This record gives sequence, structure tokens and C-alpha cells, in this order.
Amino acid sequence: MKKALSTSGAVLFALTVVAPLIWVLLTSFKSGAEVFASPWALPKQLLWKNYTNAWQEAGISHYFMNSSIVTAFTLLLLLPVGAMAAYIFGRYPFRGSKVLFGAFLGGMMFPNFLVIVPLFFLLRDLHMLDTKTGLVFVYVAYSLSFTIFVLTGFFQALPGELAEAAMIDGCGHASTFWRIMLPLAKPGLIVVGIFNAIGLWNEYGLALVLVSSEANKTLPLGIANLVMTQHYESDWGALFAGLVIVMVPVLVVYWIFRDRIHDTMLAGALKG
Amino acid sequence: MQRKGRTAFIVAFLSPAVFIYALFVIWPLLQSFVLSFYRWRGVSQQKTFVGAENYRKLAVDDVFWQALRNNLALLVGVGFLAIVLGVVIAHAMQGGGRLSKMLRGVYLFPQAISLVVVSILWMFLYNPSFGLLTTGLKAVGLERYDHAWLGEPKTALPAVGTAFLWYIAGFYIMLFAAGLRAIPEEVNEAVALEGALGMKKFWTITWPMLWSIKRIAVVYVVINVMNVFALVYLMTQGGPDRKTEVMLTYLYEQAFKNSQFGYATALAVANFLVAMGLSALLMFVFRRDPQEARA
Amino acid sequence: MNNKSILAFSLTALAIVLTGCGSPGTPGTPDKVTPVAVKEAPTGATAKGEIEEVAFKGGYGIDFYQKAAEEFATKNPGLKVTVTGDPRVWEQLRPRFVGDTPPDLCFPGWGMDHWALVAEGQLLALDDALKSKPFAGDGTWGDTFEPSLLALGQQDGHQYILPYYFNVMGWWYDPGVFARNSWTVPKTFDDLLKLGDQIRAKGIAPITYQGKYPYYMIDGMLLPWAFDVGGADAVKAAQNLEPGAWKSSALLQAAKMIKQLQDKGFFQKGATAMSHTESQTEFLQGHAAMIPCGTWLSSEMKNVMPAGAKMEFMLPPSVAGGKGDASNVIIGIEPWMIPAKAKNPEGAVALFKYMTSLDKAKQFVEQKSTLMAIKGSDSAKLPDALKTPAKVFKESKAVWSVQYRQWYPAFETEIENALTSMLNGEATPEQFCDRVESGAEKVRQDSSITKHKVTG
Repeated sequence: MKKALSTSGAVLFALTVVAPLIWVLLTSFKSGAEVFASPWALPKQLLWKNYTNAWQEAGISHYFMNSSIVTAFTLLLLLPVGAMAAYIFGRYPFRGSKVLFGAFLGGMMFPNFLVIVPLFFLLRDLHMLDTKTGLVFVYVAYSLSFTIFVLTGFFQALPGELAEAAMIDGCGHASTFWRIMLPLAKPGLIVVGIFNAIGLWNEYGLALVLVSSEANKTLPLGIANLVMTQHYESDWGALFAGLVIVMVPVLVVYWIFRDRIHDTMLAGALKG
Repeated sequence: MQRKGRTAFIVAFLSPAVFIYALFVIWPLLQSFVLSFYRWRGVSQQKTFVGAENYRKLAVDDVFWQALRNNLALLVGVGFLAIVLGVVIAHAMQGGGRLSKMLRGVYLFPQAISLVVVSILWMFLYNPSFGLLTTGLKAVGLERYDHAWLGEPKTALPAVGTAFLWYIAGFYIMLFAAGLRAIPEEVNEAVALEGALGMKKFWTITWPMLWSIKRIAVVYVVINVMNVFALVYLMTQGGPDRKTEVMLTYLYEQAFKNSQFGYATALAVANFLVAMGLSALLMFVFRRDPQEARA
Repeated sequence: MNNKSILAFSLTALAIVLTGCGSPGTPGTPDKVTPVAVKEAPTGATAKGEIEEVAFKGGYGIDFYQKAAEEFATKNPGLKVTVTGDPRVWEQLRPRFVGDTPPDLCFPGWGMDHWALVAEGQLLALDDALKSKPFAGDGTWGDTFEPSLLALGQQDGHQYILPYYFNVMGWWYDPGVFARNSWTVPKTFDDLLKLGDQIRAKGIAPITYQGKYPYYMIDGMLLPWAFDVGGADAVKAAQNLEPGAWKSSALLQAAKMIKQLQDKGFFQKGATAMSHTESQTEFLQGHAAMIPCGTWLSSEMKNVMPAGAKMEFMLPPSVAGGKGDASNVIIGIEPWMIPAKAKNPEGAVALFKYMTSLDKAKQFVEQKSTLMAIKGSDSAKLPDALKTPAKVFKESKAVWSVQYRQWYPAFETEIENALTSMLNGEATPEQFCDRVESGAEKVRQDSSITKHKVTG
């Protein structure tokens, strides 16, 4: 009896999480007038035009593309660079490696906003302000801490005999890494990759400051922008449709990998 | 393992990460502290060393103190509720098998979607024309309890705080669920034998056993709250009349609206020191005391 | 995170604080305000090479500018013009000014403090250009602009900012709704008080407003009423931040009038939290009878106009027996400029001459439903919603503009916050005026802020 009560409490809270999301989904099919006139009602008809408006007219497709490019290139750079460093930290202890590892971990704790002004001017001096390249490098830098942290654990857990056997067979340090150890760490790379991808896909604060032109705006900037534009052009339905377009891919990926994401998050939180 | 080429290998494998990290993280971090001693409008190269002027201005800046108060109010209000929710829901989910695993997935939904979406979503929920809250209250005849939630001085901060709570609660549920799982089965069984049940069992056994999770949770509350930006920036821009202003929205205003880059950096440093100080304090408060250690 | 790492990190931070100040960074140059040399723009006799134009993408979009640029490029073979825009274009332009890579021609929108750009020597003076020939016809280019609007872009005797389209600020009502209820448009504040009660009796809010952006109320009520009460001098003194001007009897009475409307319950419930589109939609839906807004309203809301809804312009009800001319009207120009570091200022001038030619100006009026700063452009076919504002502008004996907002953005934030606070019942009109006055005092005391004066 008591169990049932507490379980229903847990379910109720889950509903408060989901209900607003469902409201957004329903509203995304309404006309502008309907949004105002009957916010609680089901849409009269499914106005798919909101989606084409959001995707084409409001330029969501363009932001979507930018986010995909930035996320993909960040991961392409981040994973090898992070894995290489993590491999050293995990399997090649040297004098001062603990301190260096600590310096990397420190990045997980301090807020990005502490550095936002100098970072803005650093990118300007590197001629990387308002470029996707600049954003990619900054994202790599600020994702390294977590990536190295998780992957170091993975490499430490791999059996050492394999690496030793490879070395005896004449593989160098580097080729042992690339041919034997890295493939073994693939599960770790996938988890870290997806975890980072979700964070990067959603990132707003850094992008807000470092990217300004329409050509380089990512999805979160774009959708915030759409709220602004809507202030000038008033297409409410398209705005809700835009929100759905931003949410759905992440939620799908999240739902597929939720257990591993959960474990990774937890590991990061507990050891951070 | 072969010693040959070990050093060269270490250097080669570490240097890309070190280079990127040093350039984009460490260097700007150092610059932050430097810049906070300058007056700089950023429109030209004109930079003036002004010593501690920015910090002196900060000390008498009402908006800064108001923002800090708002941060602290969120810290206490949202932080407390997040931890309570975390403990209660985690407790309710305990041993629920497949259902609780699914619920766990749902609770983390808000963390998976962008804060931008969360902010806009809640802006719409509070919207005075078509928001679910206002129209819902009207529909059930409770119009007199309706407010312009994000526009009125008394309701704005709690309204933003509620959205914030919705966003972060899942994380704390996850933390405490893990903490509860980590309590050894024997402890629970031993307690059951002694006949301790319900609230009593919770307060004497479970709560003390969660000491390390509690400590982690409060530190994360500090980190989360001191870093709140997008939510406030998008929902209220700190309004009405600074009632929801937080440190980082004020920093953004000073840097990127008023072009006071030196002053903004001083704000950033102050924010950082406050966060560090609070974390250290809370870690001390929630340290493992000897009595709990025995439990 | 454990105790040790927190400690280590704090110590590192502390060490950085203690040692950091001397080491890296550029040595500071003295902060004396060196008078910036005036750099004149060329006269735009030819257009070659590439021109980059960046424009604020508001309610009128940027398609007109893009089209004009294309046409201009066809007229000048070999010329390439790119036009880009954004609703928050100033955020993009700021770093480009800092980085010395600004575009050639720009319209940075309301978020840019363009007088700071003038003060930093970031803009070209356009005096020579205005004395040169226009794109078509005789006389000088300068002669083609409405003089009262041109004057708003001058500083220390030099022209830095050029007007393009302009807005007239006022109030709006739905004539259909007024006719159905046999309400008459209030001419004076007393009329408004009587009418408001009648409107309320019908269960409609007399007035709604854009609570999230209080400058609508400043330009739609506070300042026009201060003008009505105290005359041109009162608002001029306020804009020039003369000591005591913001708590003068004129400003105080204007604030009291707003408070009176508030106390009588004339403002729509929830308006304090509304954005402009939200409150404007409420107005169009007939939930409120009047709203303060500029002439951009009709094009801004064209997508959500309910069938049968109409909008008509009116001046804010005036104050009987005040010192100010009752026909006074606030207008706002949209600033266009050419950066000092532009790569192709010659081409930029030539392009802007083309954009401000009478033919293009008339097209803009017709396509975008707005008024243009070019003489004779009102002979174009005006959309219904603009007929009254155009007439009001022409007939007004006191056309003026709110300029302090661009000069002192942080001060503007303070006024807006103070007004919000009064509208939320947290401050009396007296407290409002005191707070604004002390904000003005802060600006007066701050030597790092360049001061400006209303000309004329």
C-alpha cells in the first residue's frame, strides 16, 4: 500500500516532466490564432505547415546543419586527442602526471563564464571569432576534461597483458595504442562521444558570445533567434515547431543510450 | 614494458591535448584575472590599468549585490527543493525494477534537451496570454490567484526558480538513487530485524549513510546555481527591475551590452570566488562527522 | 570533487590573483580622451570592387536592401554587393568594429550605441558626401533628406549618421471597435480618464503595453506628457542630463499620470510580463482598446491580424493647459553609417545614394509600409495605417526625438527598471523621479562616458 503510494508519487513527478513537452508538441500543430485562443485544446488539424515554415522560412534547417557540422568536427578532434592523453594518464605514469591530470580535471569544475571575456578576445586575435573553426576548438578544449577523465578510467581497466604482448611482437608504443588498445576502448569512446554530442548540440552560452553571424549560428542560437525574429514577424506555430525540431533528435539519441549516459553522468558526478 | 622511446611517446601523445587546453582554457583563465584590473571598452585598443577600481566599484554596485542575493536565494530555495525532491523520489523509486529504470530515464529528459528549449518552454507556460498556467487558473475559476508570473516582482524569481528546479531535479534524483543503491543490503536487513521502519529508519540509518552523496549534491547545487545564465537571460533578461538578475546575466550585460569588459571580468572573478568559498564552506558543513562514520 | 582538489584549486586561483596582474597582457595606454580626427567619407562618385552591407533585420526584413544592392550591381558592372542581416545584428558588428574589420555600409539597429562609435572615431563624417550630387536630379544629396531628420545624425557640426526610414511614435486604436461602442478618440488626458471608465465597463482593458520593453511606455507616455506639461525645454534638459531635470515638475507630473492610469486599473492585467508581440496581439484580439507603439506596428503584426481588425494612429492624449505644443510628436530615425575602417567607403556612399533616391524611397514606402526620410517620398501610395502618422508628422509644430537612449545605454536600463518598478507598484512617482535623477547623476559623475547634447 505504502509502496504503491510512493510509486505513484514517482510517476506523478515523471508526468510533470513530460506534460510540458507534450504541450509543446501539440501546440506545434496549431495556427497562430489557435495558440492564443485555445491553449489547452487539441489542435483542430495538424498544421504541418508550421514545420515547413520553421525548417525553411525560419532557417532551422540551416542552424541544424551548422550544429551537425560543429558537433561532428568537435568529436572528430576531441576523441583522438582526448583518448591519446587519457592513454598516457591511464597507462604511462610519469613524474608530474598526477598534477597534469589534476589540471585537466580542474576544467570540469570552473565555469566557462569565468573566461568568457578573455576567450572572446583570444578568438578575435586568432581570427577565429565568429567562425565554426573557432567554436570547434573552444568546444574541444572545454570538453577535454570530462573526456580525459572518463577515458583514463577505461584505459586503466583494460588488461595490460594485451599491450605487453603487442609490444613483444614488435609493435611500438603508438601502434600498440592505435591497433590494440584504442579498438578495445571503443565502448568508452561511444559513451563519451554521445555524452559530449548531446552537450555540444545544446550548448548556448559560449556560442552566444563567440558566434554572431547568421551563417555560423548553431541550433540553440537559432531557436533563441527565432524567438527574437518572431518578435518582429509573429509566427507562433513555427516557433513551437522549431522547439520540437530541436528537442526530438536529442531525446531520441538520449532514450536509446539512456542507461550508459546515466552511468557516465553518475561516474562524472561522483568522482568529479 | 619497453622503456625505449617512452618519453618521446608520452610527449607526442600528450601535447595536442595540452596545447589546446593551455591555449583555450588556461591562458584565458589567467587573462581573466589580469583584465579585471583594467578599464576597457573593447571598441578600440584603448586599455587602461586601473588597479582595484573595478573591485571597488563592485563593492558599491547595488545591482551586483542584488544579483548575488538572487543567486543565493536560488541556491537556498532551488537547492533545498532539488535535494528534497532527489531524496524523496529516489526513495520512492527504490527497488522498482523496470518501472523505476524507465522513470529514471524520464527524469533526466530536461537535462538532455537544451537549456534554450527549457527556457522558451517555461516562458510559454508562464505566458500571460496563452500560457498553461494563466489559462488553466482561469478555466477553473481561480483567476484571482493568477499573476503575470515573469513580470511581477514577487513572482518572477520563484517562477524562474521553478523552471530551474524542473531542469535540474533529475540530476539529484539520479545522485540519490545511486547513493541508496550503494547502501549495503546487510544494513537494510539488520535494520529490518531490529524493527526500525519508515521515517525512523530513514533518519537514523539511511540519511547518515548518504553523507558523501549529500556532500556531492550540495557542491553541485553551488556549481549549478552560480552558473545559471541561459535560463534567466532568455526568460526575463534579469527583469522586472533586476528582480531575477543573477551574476552571469549582469556580467553579460556589462561586457556585451555596456562594453565594460574590465568590469565584467571583475564580476566573473567575484562570481568564481563566491562559488569556491561557498563550496568549501558547504563541504565543511557536510563533512563526515565521527558519529555518522560509525553508522 | 574532494577536499584536496578544492583546496589545490583555490590556492591556484589565489596565486593567479596575486601574481597575475603584473605578468601578461598589453600595457595600458593612458585613458585620456584624445579628440578623434574627423575623417571625411568620399563623395561616392564611382562604385567598384566589393561592397559589404550589414543591416538590422527587423520587421521590414532585409530583402529590400538586397534587391536594391542587386539593382545597383547591375548598373555598375564588375561591382559585387553582399547584404546580410540579423535581428541582433549589433552583436555581430561590435566585434567587427573591435577587430577593425567592419563592413562598408551598416545599419546596426537599436542595440548599438552608435554615438560611442562616433566618440571612438569609428565612423566617417559624411559632410562632403552630402554636399555632392545625389544619385538623380539636381542640388546636393543633403537636400534630398528631411532636414529635421538629418539633424538627428549630427555631432559637433559633423554628419555621422544618416536617416533612412523613420518612425512616428504614438498610440493605436481600432476604429471599428471604437465606432461600435460609440467611443470617441481621447484628445486630452481628461478625455482619456472618462473614456477609460467606459471601456472598462465593457470588460475590456483600456490600455495594454509592452511590459518587457518599457521604452514603449517611456516614448508613448512619459516623455510626450513631460513635453506637454513642461514644453520642449523640459525634455531637452532631461535628455541633456541637466541637474534636476529628471525630477522636474514636468517629469514628475508625467510619471503621476502613468501612475494614475495604473491606479484606475486602465492597464491590462499581465501586460507587465508581455513582450511587444504578445501585447500587440492582445490589442488586435480586442482584449485592450489602445496601445502605445510606433508606426512599425502594422507591418510587424500583419501575419496575425485577425479578420476585421483595423488599426488607426493617434497622438498620446495631451495635457490641457500645459506649456508644450499639443501637436508635438516623437519620431525616430533608423541610423545608417559608414565605418572609418570600411574598405570601400566610396562604393558605400554611392550605394546609399542609390538607396535614398526618390524612386527607391517611394518603393520602400509602398513595399514596407513605413515613412521615409526622403523629401517627397510621401507622395507614394501610403498604406492606410500610415496616412494619419504622415499627416501628423507634416502638421506637427514640434517634431522631436528621443536621443539619450543611444548615448547612455546603462542609464536607459535604469530608467526602464525604475518605470517597471513603479508600474509594479513598488515605487511612487516621486521615488521614480528620484531614482532616475540619481541615475543621471551617476552618468554626470562618470568621466569615462562621453556626454552629448540635443542639438537645436
